[in-house]
Amino acid sequence: MSEPAGALLTVSDLHREFGGVHAVNGASFAVPPGRITGLIGPNGAGKSTVLNIIAGALRPSAGTVTYRGQDITGLAAYKVARHGLVRTFQVSSEFAALTVMENLLVAAPAQRGETLWQAALGKRYWKAHERATVERARQLMSRFDMSAAEDEYAGNLSGGQKRLLELMRGLMANPALLLLDEPMAGVNPSLARRIEGHLEDLAGEGLAMLMVEHELAVVERLCDPVIVMAQGRVISQGTMADVRSDQEVLDAYLIG
Amino acid sequence: MSVAWQFYISTVLIYLGVDVIACWGLNLQFGVAGLVNFAYIIFQAAGAYTAAVLTLGPAKPARLGGFQQYIGGAHLPFPLPMLAAGLVGGLLAAVVGGFAIRRLRSDYEAMVMLVVSLIATSVATNQVGLVNGPNGLALVPKPLASLVNLSPIGYQWFFTGLTVVIAVCVYWLVHVVTSSPLGRTLRAVRDNEQAAAALGKNVTGLRMLAFVLGGVIAGISGAILVEFISAWSPGSWLYPETFVYFTAVIVGGSGNNFGVMVGALLVPVAFLEATRFIPQFGPPGLIDALQWIIVGVLALVFLWFWPRGVIPERRRRFPVAGEAGARRSPLRIGTPR
Repeated sequence: MSEPAGALLTVSDLHREFGGVHAVNGASFAVPPGRITGLIGPNGAGKSTVLNIIAGALRPSAGTVTYRGQDITGLAAYKVARHGLVRTFQVSSEFAALTVMENLLVAAPAQRGETLWQAALGKRYWKAHERATVERARQLMSRFDMSAAEDEYAGNLSGGQKRLLELMRGLMANPALLLLDEPMAGVNPSLARRIEGHLEDLAGEGLAMLMVEHELAVVERLCDPVIVMAQGRVISQGTMADVRSDQEVLDAYLIG
Repeated sequence: MSVAWQFYISTVLIYLGVDVIACWGLNLQFGVAGLVNFAYIIFQAAGAYTAAVLTLGPAKPARLGGFQQYIGGAHLPFPLPMLAAGLVGGLLAAVVGGFAIRRLRSDYEAMVMLVVSLIATSVATNQVGLVNGPNGLALVPKPLASLVNLSPIGYQWFFTGLTVVIAVCVYWLVHVVTSSPLGRTLRAVRDNEQAAAALGKNVTGLRMLAFVLGGVIAGISGAILVEFISAWSPGSWLYPETFVYFTAVIVGGSGNNFGVMVGALLVPVAFLEATRFIPQFGPPGLIDALQWIIVGVLALVFLWFWPRGVIPERRRRFPVAGEAGARRSPLRIGTPR
């Protein structure tokens, strides 16, 4: 597939096998800036594998991932993150024995005092920088209505609060593209609506997102474009209305 | 106080210093970075051998009356053998970490470490030319003994002071790491490696850093020990010694430098020293054998009932702007899970 003009992220002809099973079998698509791109498909379609490959958690057996014209295929996960591609996990992955505040502070990129030499320079060297980071974290907490939990250990939060923390922590890392793996998995409907509202606001502020999601109603409200995968390939893409009318998509969902 | 008691007390204090330093190193690896280093004692041993060999001077061949064989002997003045011990502990950690930390997940890593510990003992015992095999090294000269020219009890207290000074330096190092953003990031890696990597943290590099720092500290603790007791052999660093340190860290409160210090006071010193005062009963050697069993039971009891230890990891709070500095974060004890 030729690279569409203005794409933030381009995935082309991605392949990945797990012991003879083709989890991803030639997937190609592009993610535009400033919008929420939905990645949907039946179970086993290869959505999470694609997300893992983009984020550097898995290496593809073939194909390329290009981000802002730069080839980032097969880079280590932490290097991908430093390019501004920050992911969240389907299963909450909080730092359990750190407080909510500390979870957010850890996520801040390029912190002072995070290398041995800078730490050895003492608190005076990193204190002011840290105070600014704390302020930023507090703003984020108040936006997500989590201020009351600032000093709570993340491991003690409810399932829903952990989902919010996951999202906040991703934002704290200053993403240019946020990769969301089912951000509303396992939360009650009212919190799901709140998360949805947050995502909508973030997109409104110009943050690009690529979201794997099962709830089609949510995808319909939030995502444009929508990419449909089945059996490791992209079978359709466009607006939700476009893909809904695609016979191949209907077949894939019905047959599974 | 009688001279005998002074000897006893200063000796216990020096052992306490060595154990506290060693436990701080292990805490950095295990408590802070989550590395299960079941070979911890070999880094202490490597430091001890290094300091001994660099103090003893070149080995004499047996025909000239030399009774111990080893490699790399030299006569270095006082602080150098200890610094070299830290360096060797760190280098060994870089090598061992290179294959065990970079590639493996924590449960496998723990197994590999245990195996490394057994191999190291076997090599040191059987390669007689390396560090004099099972007999080990003896008659290591005491540092600065000829310079300070003190009475034996005077030298005991001098050495106690030396140990305290080194312990303060090591404390500074571990405190600087654990209280900084670096320490927070290491704890994040401990809690969830994948999530830390997804936030741009170089997980392998951070784990290696904690592992090598722990190795340096273990090496220094070994150097103090060997310069004090003047002898070192494979029997001094069998793998169960690692578990004594693990028990101390767990009992004291892993992740908390102060707690770990208390743990070192409770387990290797108070607990094991107390058995000295138990009247002998049963067959000879029974009390020594019971020590290991009791250390094991202690570790299990704490892991079941008080996994966070006597003085748990501190909850970090951040002052609100305006009241900065006015509110010192209190030592609050809570349960994270």
